[in-house]
Amino acid sequence: MINQLKDVVTGSAEIAKAMGVTLKYFFKKPVTHQYPDEPVEVYPRFRGRHVLKRYDNGLERCIGCALCAAACPTDCIYVEASENTDEKRYSPGERYASTYDINMLRCIFCGYCAEACPTEAIVLEHDFALAEYNRWDAIYPKERLLEPHDPDYIVLRSDEEFKLSETWGKK
Amino acid sequence: MSDNVTLTIDGVQVTVPKGTLIVEAAKQIENEIPVFCYHGKMDPVGMCRMCLVEVGQPAIDRGTGKPELDEDGNPVVRFFPKPMTACTTTVSEGMVVKVDTSEAAVDDRKAVLEFLLTSHPLDCPVCDKGGECPLQDLTIRHGPGNSRFDYEDKQHFPKRYPLGDLIVLDMERCIICARCVRFQQEIAFDPVLAIENRGRRAHIVSYSKPGFDSHYSGNTTDVCPVGALTTRDFRFGARAWEMTNVPSLCNHCGVGCNTVLGTRAGTIRRIMPRQNEAVNELWICDKGRFGHHFNGSPDRLTTPLIRKGEELVEATWDEALSLIGEKFGAIKSANGADSLGGIAGARLTNEDLYVFQKLFREIIGTNNIDHRVGLSAALEDETAFTVGVGVGTDLGSVGKGTTILNIGADLDQDAPILYLRVAGASVKRGAHVINAGGRRTKLDAQVQTTLRYNYGSAARLALGLLASVVSQGLVAKEWADSRTSGMADLEKALKNFGADKVAEATGLTTNAIDAAAKAFAEAENGIIIFGLEAGNDPALRAALEALALATGHAGKPNNGVIAVLPHANSRGAIDMGILPDRLPGYKPVESNAGLSAVEMLTAGGVKGLLIAAADPAVESESYKQALQQLDFLVVQELFLTETAQMADVVLPAKGNAERDGSYTNLERRVQTFDMGVPAPGKAWADWLIFTGIAGQLGADWAYASADGVMAEITQRVPLYAGMDFKNLTAPISLQRKTEHYIYEGMSFTTDIREGIQWATVAESDSAPKIPLRFIEPAKASSQEQGLTLVAPRMLYDGGRLLAEADVVNAHILEPQLMLSRSDAQKLGVSTGDSVTVSQNGTAITVPVYIERTVSEGVALLPRNLAGRPAEKLVGPNGLYSTVKVEKS
Repeated sequence: MINQLKDVVTGSAEIAKAMGVTLKYFFKKPVTHQYPDEPVEVYPRFRGRHVLKRYDNGLERCIGCALCAAACPTDCIYVEASENTDEKRYSPGERYASTYDINMLRCIFCGYCAEACPTEAIVLEHDFALAEYNRWDAIYPKERLLEPHDPDYIVLRSDEEFKLSETWGKK
Repeated sequence: MSDNVTLTIDGVQVTVPKGTLIVEAAKQIENEIPVFCYHGKMDPVGMCRMCLVEVGQPAIDRGTGKPELDEDGNPVVRFFPKPMTACTTTVSEGMVVKVDTSEAAVDDRKAVLEFLLTSHPLDCPVCDKGGECPLQDLTIRHGPGNSRFDYEDKQHFPKRYPLGDLIVLDMERCIICARCVRFQQEIAFDPVLAIENRGRRAHIVSYSKPGFDSHYSGNTTDVCPVGALTTRDFRFGARAWEMTNVPSLCNHCGVGCNTVLGTRAGTIRRIMPRQNEAVNELWICDKGRFGHHFNGSPDRLTTPLIRKGEELVEATWDEALSLIGEKFGAIKSANGADSLGGIAGARLTNEDLYVFQKLFREIIGTNNIDHRVGLSAALEDETAFTVGVGVGTDLGSVGKGTTILNIGADLDQDAPILYLRVAGASVKRGAHVINAGGRRTKLDAQVQTTLRYNYGSAARLALGLLASVVSQGLVAKEWADSRTSGMADLEKALKNFGADKVAEATGLTTNAIDAAAKAFAEAENGIIIFGLEAGNDPALRAALEALALATGHAGKPNNGVIAVLPHANSRGAIDMGILPDRLPGYKPVESNAGLSAVEMLTAGGVKGLLIAAADPAVESESYKQALQQLDFLVVQELFLTETAQMADVVLPAKGNAERDGSYTNLERRVQTFDMGVPAPGKAWADWLIFTGIAGQLGADWAYASADGVMAEITQRVPLYAGMDFKNLTAPISLQRKTEHYIYEGMSFTTDIREGIQWATVAESDSAPKIPLRFIEPAKASSQEQGLTLVAPRMLYDGGRLLAEADVVNAHILEPQLMLSRSDAQKLGVSTGDSVTVSQNGTAITVPVYIERTVSEGVALLPRNLAGRPAEKLVGPNGLYSTVKVEKS
């Protein structure tokens, strides 16, 4: 009997303690996100989905040189180049990419393509939502890769934590 | 004194023949001195200064004339105070060369590269040469890491400047090495390029009209060590490292140029030459380079078609083949085997042709097979079996002491790479070339002797030369007596072909004939080349054969006869016995010779016909009518040609880039090519289709591959013994490869295969004596009034395959009558006016073009053009006829 009473008291204390924790977090800012209703914060150097950049005047930066494809360790980029004409101009200069496909299932997001790019046309940006219902849809054509690509479910983390230069080595 | 000298390069001793350049000597010990302007096939110029080395020579004591020695007894070497260009300096005894061991030379080369790069745009990412660029490679190996020059100070020229409609110039990238200018001058003999201005303003220009007017322009993009010259066709087609390079063969003429297909993602991106010193050296013509688009054409046949009423409807292979088996079987049992026939074009491979003739001869049981339609009908040749050029003949090496007699071949149009080699033998290496022809051709400017005969008298000219050889006592008695028979009879027959008679018939002087005969007979090596414009005349061929035999110019390398046959495998078609009276390997058919193509294409000739890779319906109206009257017509093609549209069953075949096989070129060299790209739809290789048809007719052949067919050919055709694919594809020996090797920094070179030539009768000492043949030439036709209309073949003709290449469309000839200025004046017409050309009731209307190379009294209308106007007048097999021309 005594033991049973003891159990009730300690049990209640434990529950109260646990509920205390719950109560504590009830008033704290939640760590979970209401994704995709709420945007997700990512670090600026997070390597996500590729984006093909444009110049300010709207011309594509990509010149179709295929150095990204050459640098790619998984061979997931396929580029076909064509010649710009004065009537149909896609990029400055003579050459542009008429086909630019990336197989996102193969990509390992190493960023070598961005490193190889002589015009900084391909950049690994922050989109991570790459699920598809069909495997073939995971091959992103140029139209999907080109700017603008600003998904509303991602925001760039711009907080103080990321000021590396100030905090490095001091903590 | 020996002809060799010994020198030391970077401490390594090497012995080379006198007169060798330092850069070549260094190559032998695998010390690669960097070069841009130097090219092994061209004269050195020392323009780029990239090959600077330090050169020293043993000091000679002036008093004694002996080499000075130092204290240790070693010769003292005195170095020249300034660096020397290794590409223009010849070696000398005891020379010491420092390439990498001299700091000064290394610095010099670094400085040269920095200077070259001062005005180079460094747009490697968009440059077609990027990845296979000597400037890139050598900069990485020898150049400075960075430039001290500001990009803003660079010279700017217009980008993508069209030199011609095939070649694009980017002058900013040019380093003025003049390889392209020199190629056009020294190798193509079309000096249409030049360097204009000097210093930093120097640039490449083309002065010809239209720009860059040459059949060899594409080669300048290969020799260009930077990306200054690129082809309009390949422009941005793929990066060099992305392509798979597949060894292949060109299928546009009989030369058999070795090519490389640059393929990517199942399509051909470009065609480049593959080195074969015995065939095409390092070059291909523009037709071969740009005429590959038929392979990927959207108009290709992709599935078998069966006629249902008026329509051709798609069918499966099973349906199509069983229908053929059923119909051919029915025709055979009703009317006998000889009511069936087959025509196979000379574009098919040896394997296809062998299976084709086996199908007809062994399964169907008839000799009604032929390849002589279209261009193949205009030139036959059986002389190669006896006196074809000897095994090991290399037109690229013959020079002094060799006489080449060319009769009636316009090499620049018929066999462009042969033109380069013959012209090169004449101009660069001093061979005596006698160019005999009915009109002025491009080769005339490069040769020592030109004989202009009247059209139709080529056989008389050949007999006249032979008679002159006999009368001048230049017969190679000993050889001719031991290897030939019938000399006495021949001499008797030649009595009627004295120089004066022949001179009258040909329009030449007796002196010219005698001099040509002497030059040919007395030469150490003699090669006879004959082509379409000599006429398809057995008398001519017999005379040329006898001429080669009587002068002893047969049966050894660099001697013999070459027929400039029109198609890629014309030689193979004859070898494989695609003739009604000849079995594979030139064995005559003993009894019941079959019908020729012309006879089969006459109404009532046969009841069922199988036509592969030929389009007789466009050749003539009468062929078309005959085809309409057939009970059953099967056509095997790449495209739905006019003949195919009339067929009961159309079968889709694979193009030569989509399968493997072998061709035999006009020097009898058997060469193989590999599969490069997938075939469209359900197309089959031709040999497989023939095997399928044979299977329906009861055969149980089990050929698994072209290789397997060739294995059987090697067993059953003695000429082809030992030519299985294993031997044909074996890369050449390392020794031969080093002799070949020419530095050019290209990444596309695939394994060099040289192919195998089969030996002629004249080459075998144990063969029976070769009878000297004499055939009386046909009487010259009565002198009708009018112009002589001649139908030569031009490079860019109206063939179906070339029509698919948009890039050369502007070059494809439209039918036009080429007249001399004086004849045009007589008719009162000028370029562009249309005239009516008539003969025996056939009349056609064509525009006139005044052409200075045409002689008076002759009118040219090239054959094989759209609508085949020339064939209407001269006949599908003819060369010339007398026509009436009136202004219309």
